[in-house]
Amino acid sequence: MSRQPWMDAGVLLVGVAGGVASGLFGIGGGTIMVPLMGLLLGFSQHRAQGTSLVALIPPTGILAVLAYGKAGYVDWRVGLLLIPGVFLGGIAGGNLAKRIPAAMMRRIFAALLFALGAWQVASAVRGS
Amino acid sequence: MPIVVLLLGLVAGLLMGLLGIGGGVVLVPAMVHLLKMDQHLAQGTSLFILLPPIGLGALRQYWRAGNVDWRAGVFCAAGMILGAWLGGKLAVPMSTKLLQIFFGTFLMFSALLLWMKAQPKAEPAGAALKEGSV
Repeated sequence: MSRQPWMDAGVLLVGVAGGVASGLFGIGGGTIMVPLMGLLLGFSQHRAQGTSLVALIPPTGILAVLAYGKAGYVDWRVGLLLIPGVFLGGIAGGNLAKRIPAAMMRRIFAALLFALGAWQVASAVRGS
Repeated sequence: MPIVVLLLGLVAGLLMGLLGIGGGVVLVPAMVHLLKMDQHLAQGTSLFILLPPIGLGALRQYWRAGNVDWRAGVFCAAGMILGAWLGGKLAVPMSTKLLQIFFGTFLMFSALLLWMKAQPKAEPAGAALKEGSV
């Protein structure tokens, strides 16, 4: 079922959406790709998450990093310090995901994200 | 400071493995508020972190459980290269304040998407594709 051309085209478009979000907001893009694969293409939650991780393996953000780097918007030292933690945390998280009811986890994370977003907007509007 | 940064990476990685996302959604606000970085600087640094294949460990866990669609992943990555280039071009000249407002709005929007997915419900695929192209 997932081998049809329209599915490939759909995934490609999900990738473009994820990429725009990635370059625009400095994120991986999985936040938007995982729900889109689930809601629009009918992937199961675990499959959408695993597939999103594949898309995060190649350095897809290279062109965006170059754009930010040229403008002086990259702190290389902090970046290097973050990498080992993210790698190890990723293994632990992947292990946990197999044991934890996904729906509950997602709701907790969604609530956290919403609060973070509201905080960002509020602090920008207040001019901090 | 380096300890805080290392711990921050660990938290972001945990989310990455748990939810299949890059972790940048948490890293960027954390760098802005905890490390007092400028929004642009935090975003550029987050993109830099995502360049090496830091998700390989997490991916292995999903692969062993048979939850990976390689073909879809490759197509997704191809789309992302293009999209990320476009997004970077849009973000760099933007004012910090505007970018922060956009970022916050995007987080709230993604939160709603994530929440929606928590109700298991299959969408008709045809209608879905049209929306996906926007």
